[in-house]
Amino acid sequence: MSTDPTARQEDPQSTARATRTEGTRGTNPATGAEDPQNTNRATGTKDPQNTAPATRAKDLRNTAPATRAKDPQNTAPATRTNGPLGTDLRLAWLLTRGSDRREWWRVGLTALGAALATGFALAAAALASLQGQYAVSLGAGLLDQPGTRSGVIVTLLLLLVPVLGFLGQCARIGAVHRDRRLAALRLAGATPAQVRRISALETGLACLLGSVLTTSAAVVVMLTGWQNPPALAWAGVVVTGLGVPVLGAVAGAVALRRVVASPLGRVRRVRPRSGRASGLLFAAAVLFLAASAPVAVALTSRGGPQRTPAYGGPPLIVAGLLVVVGAAAVGLVGGTARVTGRVLARRARTAATLIAAERLREDPWAAARTHAAVLLVTVVGTAYVGVRQAMLADLHATRADRLGASMSYYETGLDLTALAILVALAIALGGLAVGTVESLAARRRGLAAQTAAGVPRSVLGRALLLETALPLGPALLLGGAGGMAIGVCYARLTADGAPVMPYAALLVPLGVYAACLLAAATSLPLLRRSVRPAELRYT
Amino acid sequence: MSSKGDTSVPLLEGRDLGKAYGRAHGRTEALRGASLRLDAGEILAVTGTSGSGKSTLLHCLAGIVRPDTGAVSYRGERLDQLPEKRLSELRRTEFGVVFQFGQLIPELTALDNVALPLLLAGVSRAQAHTRAGEWLERFGVRGQSELRPGEMSGGQAQRTALARALVTGPKAVFADEPTGALDSLASEQVMTALVHTARESGTAILLVTHDTQVAAYADRELRMADGAVAGAEVTA
Amino acid sequence: MSTRHILLGLLAGGPSHGYDLKRRHDDRFPQARPLAYGQVYTTLQRLVRDGLAEVDGTDSDGGPERTKYRATDEGARELAEWARQIAPPAPFVANEIFAKVVVSILAGGDPDAYLRAQRAAHMARMRELTAVKTAPGADLATVLSADYALNHLDADLRWMTTTAARLTTLTAEVDSA
Repeated sequence: MSTDPTARQEDPQSTARATRTEGTRGTNPATGAEDPQNTNRATGTKDPQNTAPATRAKDLRNTAPATRAKDPQNTAPATRTNGPLGTDLRLAWLLTRGSDRREWWRVGLTALGAALATGFALAAAALASLQGQYAVSLGAGLLDQPGTRSGVIVTLLLLLVPVLGFLGQCARIGAVHRDRRLAALRLAGATPAQVRRISALETGLACLLGSVLTTSAAVVVMLTGWQNPPALAWAGVVVTGLGVPVLGAVAGAVALRRVVASPLGRVRRVRPRSGRASGLLFAAAVLFLAASAPVAVALTSRGGPQRTPAYGGPPLIVAGLLVVVGAAAVGLVGGTARVTGRVLARRARTAATLIAAERLREDPWAAARTHAAVLLVTVVGTAYVGVRQAMLADLHATRADRLGASMSYYETGLDLTALAILVALAIALGGLAVGTVESLAARRRGLAAQTAAGVPRSVLGRALLLETALPLGPALLLGGAGGMAIGVCYARLTADGAPVMPYAALLVPLGVYAACLLAAATSLPLLRRSVRPAELRYT
Repeated sequence: MSSKGDTSVPLLEGRDLGKAYGRAHGRTEALRGASLRLDAGEILAVTGTSGSGKSTLLHCLAGIVRPDTGAVSYRGERLDQLPEKRLSELRRTEFGVVFQFGQLIPELTALDNVALPLLLAGVSRAQAHTRAGEWLERFGVRGQSELRPGEMSGGQAQRTALARALVTGPKAVFADEPTGALDSLASEQVMTALVHTARESGTAILLVTHDTQVAAYADRELRMADGAVAGAEVTA
Repeated sequence: MSTRHILLGLLAGGPSHGYDLKRRHDDRFPQARPLAYGQVYTTLQRLVRDGLAEVDGTDSDGGPERTKYRATDEGARELAEWARQIAPPAPFVANEIFAKVVVSILAGGDPDAYLRAQRAAHMARMRELTAVKTAPGADLATVLSADYALNHLDADLRWMTTTAARLTTLTAEVDSA
């Protein structure tokens, strides 16, 4: 690696001390005396590897003046008031500030994801705090009954799954550079706990930003639009508003196990192995959601008539089924990606297919990770179309019997579900686009070298699209089949006569496939910029 | 000036090349009026301190970058005016490029990496593999054909990169610090392999380096300073 | 470089006459200055005088009569001793190029032009040596001896490059002294 050896040798030495002896940063006036201003500017725009030492040097310089004039021995106790968290916070801030634009994209998108997550969670919590009958002006009476309310809560919680996928993609932005930077911190003598705290703070603060935005909006809504929110609703706001950033911070810390374990983890140019950590995190988060759904449903069903528990039954069963089908589909994506990659790599006739296939074979789980949320949405969407068809047919058939029941009540319910699915699809596609862009940005130097060697940009672009298209095809087929099965089962259960096959549902996987390709194609303009020869200069 | 090619059309010629990077402020002029000619089969070293513009000169001559001013002609054809599609094709078929590192696709095996330019030219996979294998053999890395770049030593990866640069039978190879990341023995192996093959096949080489021992493999040396060719050419 | 020790070393392989020794020397050290026959002859006589070698008889082989020599036990000891001794690492900094630069400054000449010309000459020699070592069929001894020279020339070149970049300061220093 081409890390400037002098930079590493002279300044981390002092940084090590500065970061390790919490709060006694002023004890090494030597580094404070030299002026790293120029080095900062020079390296700041280039290799992030150099940025880390440079910004750390700046940190020392900024804090040194206060103590530099006096005897360091005496000032040490005075500065100790600034605890370890303060040091880490400052480092986290400096590292983020000194890094390139991508880091800000990560912060912004993470905050956006956190804001969405907080929003859905808050809405679910607020609904769960209601009990019994209510007259809510929103949602055509769907929120009035505990039974339908349970359905809405479960839907909101399900919407969190694509949001989680989106957040997972956001965390990968600039991951290679961030890992290298944190590894450099470790080399400089930071303890594993410190590095973990710093990265937890980096993620946690971004999540806090999003959560604060949504929570304050929610508080305003609750104060103005809700006559008398129960204490439980307020408790839900507090727990959600704080829980999102805390969980974000924990996820940020867990995802970094490897770097923390070895300071050389990313400094050496080792082949990146797909992190198990992120998959486990995603699974854990989904399990957490699965566990919180019954609680929320039970909460909102309190104090109802005797057979209350049954209210929450159907939505929970459907949700559970969806998660199971989704998980199976994700597992299958990984498997099919590996097989597709292996088979195609051997048979590929064109350069684009060969490149795409070898990338799949190398890291099949990357595809599964990226496509998990999309798959879940496909399953839900396909099932939804089937269920909708059966339900409407059922309603029309029995309309005469139930003159009192308003058709719009059911239709609004169905339409709102459709809206939720579309929102979920949009979020999932956003995650997919972010993932594609990141994978491009991470290997832009290599791509620039390919272009310099005469590999046409169109070939690289096709390889990029094929990377999305190849594993997604079979996966969507499976997801579509699963969703179709759910729809048909539902139709079987409800219809008296021979159920109509919901062929329209077949359009859903096709539509999702096209949308995914479009989302992946949004990265093509970036490809044009990534292959500029200027990229050849940086490692 | 090189004595042998003055009358004939040079293989590649750059005249008064200028190139600046960056925007209004912080603008760096990498090239200011650099000129050179490369004759067929000739090995030319371009040396100079870092920042003297030698890499930019190579990029301009190889058609990777368009110069702001001046002209680049390859066998009488103006490279700086060609559309990108044709340039790509030219780089793929008539030229070969070797950088310090990073030109191999990390996910592909050495064999596939070398076969890639042939695949792009429409050669069948089996045929491409056969020819790629021969080239790996010539550079002494046949045993590594199934390894990926990350699994090879630096010298093996560079020799694979050379095989890839030469597999299409190019007229000119552009090498930018090809031994920059190697120790002296690996460097010697890479350079010897490159020079031998070039002599055998009559391929011209434009070799950008700051290492005089590497520059000594060339027939001729051109020194650059401040974005221009410094002083008179030094001829063998 | 000690010619007597090298001849002793060549004699260690068995008795040999002067012409044969010269030929083997030039083979073994390809890029070194070739030995003159007269030098071989005088060195052998001195070795005999010092008891390190002795005459092993003569043979005519059809041509003119030639004296064969062989190393004595003391010669073998002397050789082993010499081979063990380390070569003193640059005991004196006697650098002709540097001297010329300083003299050129003192005499009001153009040290920069001199350095450029010297650099061109060094590079030309390096190209020659590189061509010798990369020639098809070059044996390892040739490659290694060329490498030795190449590395020294390279060191000179590096020194010249940094010196050229600091000529202004050097001129000021020399002129003020």
